[in-house]
This record gives sequence, C-alpha cells and structure tokens, in this order.
Amino acid sequence: MRAGRTILHPTDLSFAPGDRIGLVGPSGSGKSTLCHALVDQLQARGVAVAHVPQSPDEALDPLRRLDFHWSQAERALGLAPDAARRAQLLRALDLEGRPLNVRPWGWSRGMQQRFVIALALLASPALLVLDEPTSALDPIVAATTLELVEAQAARTGTTLLIVTHDLGLAAARARRLLVLHEGKLVEDSDTGTLLTKPQSTAAQALVAHRNWADLPC
Amino acid sequence: MLTVETLTVTRGGRTVLRDVNLTLAPGRTLAVLGQSGAGKSTLVASVLGLLRPDHGQVRWNGAPLPRGAAALVMQEPRAAFNPRLTLRRSVQEPLRARRLPDDPVRLARLCRGLELPPESLDRLPGQVSIGQAQRAGVLRALIAAPPLILFDEPLSALDAMTQKHTARMISELQREEGFAALVVTHDLGYAAAHADAIAVLRAGQIEETAETATFFAAPQSAYGRSLVEAAVSLGALGRQTAA
Repeated sequence: MRAGRTILHPTDLSFAPGDRIGLVGPSGSGKSTLCHALVDQLQARGVAVAHVPQSPDEALDPLRRLDFHWSQAERALGLAPDAARRAQLLRALDLEGRPLNVRPWGWSRGMQQRFVIALALLASPALLVLDEPTSALDPIVAATTLELVEAQAARTGTTLLIVTHDLGLAAARARRLLVLHEGKLVEDSDTGTLLTKPQSTAAQALVAHRNWADLPC
Repeated sequence: MLTVETLTVTRGGRTVLRDVNLTLAPGRTLAVLGQSGAGKSTLVASVLGLLRPDHGQVRWNGAPLPRGAAALVMQEPRAAFNPRLTLRRSVQEPLRARRLPDDPVRLARLCRGLELPPESLDRLPGQVSIGQAQRAGVLRALIAAPPLILFDEPLSALDAMTQKHTARMISELQREEGFAALVVTHDLGYAAAHADAIAVLRAGQIEETAETATFFAAPQSAYGRSLVEAAVSLGALGRQTAA
C-alpha cells in the first residue's frame, strides 16, 4: 500500500537460475513497486540481488571518482580488493583499460550505465534487475549493452529481470514475460505464447502495440 | 517546400553540422535519425533561425523562412510550458504573437483530433498527464497553422502504448492540415511507421537520405545498417516472417 492505495496485489513469483524475464506494463502499473518489493524481500532472505536504475545519475555520485565507487562497493559487500576481478568484470562490459580515476561525467552515458552494471555484477547476484535499461541510451549503445550483460549473466547463471513499458523490447530480449496491470500480475508465460495467445485484455493491448512496423524482407 | 542548402554550423569552435542538404515538401514527413551528439538539435535550432549558420542557408519556397512559418514540438512536454500559465494561455500564445484572432472553432476541432478534453486546457502543465501535456504541445504548434512543424523527439517521454496512439493522431492531423513535418529522433520504429523519407545524421554530416521503404529495405551506409540492426535487436522493429 502507498498513500492508502493498493499498488501491488498479492503476487507469487518464482525464477529459474539463468532465465531472462521481462516485466512489462504501462506507466503506473506497479512495475517499480514490484521491483522494490522483490529486492527487499530477497535481500531479507539473504539472496544476492542487484538493481540497476534507469539512469546512471541515480547510481553514481557526480563528485566521487569511479575507482572510489568501486572500492566502496567492495567494502559494502565485504569483499577484499581484487584487481583481477575488477578487470574481468570491466572487460565483460567492454570497459577494459579505461582509466577509473575520473568522475562519472568523464565517461559517456552508455559507459556510465555499463559501469553501474559491472558494479551490480560485483555482488555475484542471483537476480539482476534492469529498470528500463535502454531509455537513457542511444539504440546502438543500448543494444550492445544488453548483449554484453546477457552474455555475462549466461556465464554466471544470473537471472535477468528486464523491467520496461515496451513489450517490443521485452519480447526481443526475454524468454519469459510477466505482464502487470493495475498492480496485478495478469500474465506469466513464455514469450512465444504471450505474443501469439495473450489471455488478458491488458496483454492483448500490449501485443497489439508491440512493434511500430515490420522490416520489409 | 523547405530546402536546407550546404548548412554548416560551428558552436564553441566545433563544427556541429557540415554541408547538410535536405528538402521537405508540404504534407510530407522527414525523419532525421542519429545518436546523441550527431547534431540533431542544432539542425532544429538552425531551421528555426535560432542559430546563425557559418555557411549555407535554410529556405522556404526559395525565400528565407518567414517569421512564424515554423513551429516546434519539444521533447519534454512539461518543461516546454510555462508552469504558471494555463495550457490554454500557452496554446494561444502563437496567435497573440502574430496578432491573429482567436479561432474557437479551429481550437475545438484540433482538440478533438488530439483527444484533449476542452476543460484540460484550463489546467496548469503540472496538473495533466505527460501524454496530455505533449498533445497540448502539438496543439500549440498547430494553432496558427504554420506550414512547417519541427518535432524534437516528440514521443520519447511517453510510454510505449501512448507513443503509438499519439503518433497516429499527429499523422491524421497532418493529412487534414498538410503541414510539412521535420522529426528528429533516435526512434527508428516511429520513423519506419510514420515518416515518408529518412535522413541519417552522423557527426554533423548526412550519411544517406532515402524514401522510408527504400531505407529500411536496404540502408546504404554502414552506420544506417547498425541503426536498423539495433532497432531490431531492441524490438522497436519487427522482422517480418513469411507465414
């Protein structure tokens, strides 16, 4: 409940390791509330879970250098500094060899977003929540970033939860789709089934507006 | 007819646009695609006459673009309005600026076309939804019937379903009103569905221009191809499958 209004109705969910899941719904459907509730509940049970916000500005302190962010995250997670691990994670997100002794704005937004994802992966999360991962980025950068995260998640068995208002994006990247409508989980099925046989009115409306157009063959 | 001829603009010692050539006929939509920093916003400001080019020119039917002949729809609908004026006051501003009389019949017709309830115009920009505020932005651009409307990422603040609905309303009004639309965007899906022609802008230069169907069937530049691949990979464009 928020401000006396039920934002999220009782919801049961289970995630398979290494799965790629899309959580879709229009603005105000309760996506962010569900994410925050998931992160809180899982953390309370000792499950490693990481959340990458929509914009890197929400995650990085503009006055602190990137190497400070990294060592602070290591301290918070109780990890000893490990240069090899850092190099490996940065390499996975195509940031190898970039100097970290700069403040966030010394890097492009796409690089900042990938840095935040690398920080999130430092926790070796069982679940990585990506909130509207493409909205702050240009399409080429966004596509590359998602491909890098997916490859890394596949290597480590991390489950990815992509939260977006855009069914086209979720369908292109996820194997399983959850549809949220007015705080209720109205659909939970594999991507192919949802696209061809959406059951709920909310999912049918999303499917009807999935892509702008088809490419001519 | 809008013609942009060998437009070159320098800002802060950096050449932001170099030798840009474009044409756009009335009733048509030209989408200028490009990533952040490609020079899209500089192009918009130059066409509006807000920036003086170092070289080249912007012309309308062979003459300099007359004052008030072009209107702009901005990316962030709420930021585009004075927060202390009702939408009605802001929407009618272009008429006042050009000393034109109010036209309640036209206003009512445009409101219908944009699905804006007339009473929503008596609210402040912060009191309506983002979708309504953006449609009020389109209404303000259209009210004085300019022959050219520039759209700077007009849909990016809206959610996926609202985007598609708003785009259809704009296209419908364009058919009725016949304005030329210059849209700068990085949303290839929107361009594929609603533009007649495409221009790809990269690092201040036009990489290619083509009719929309031609472009999406076979982009000529390597950069155009990466844009199309990224849009497919992000699900903005479907890949047609033979049934």
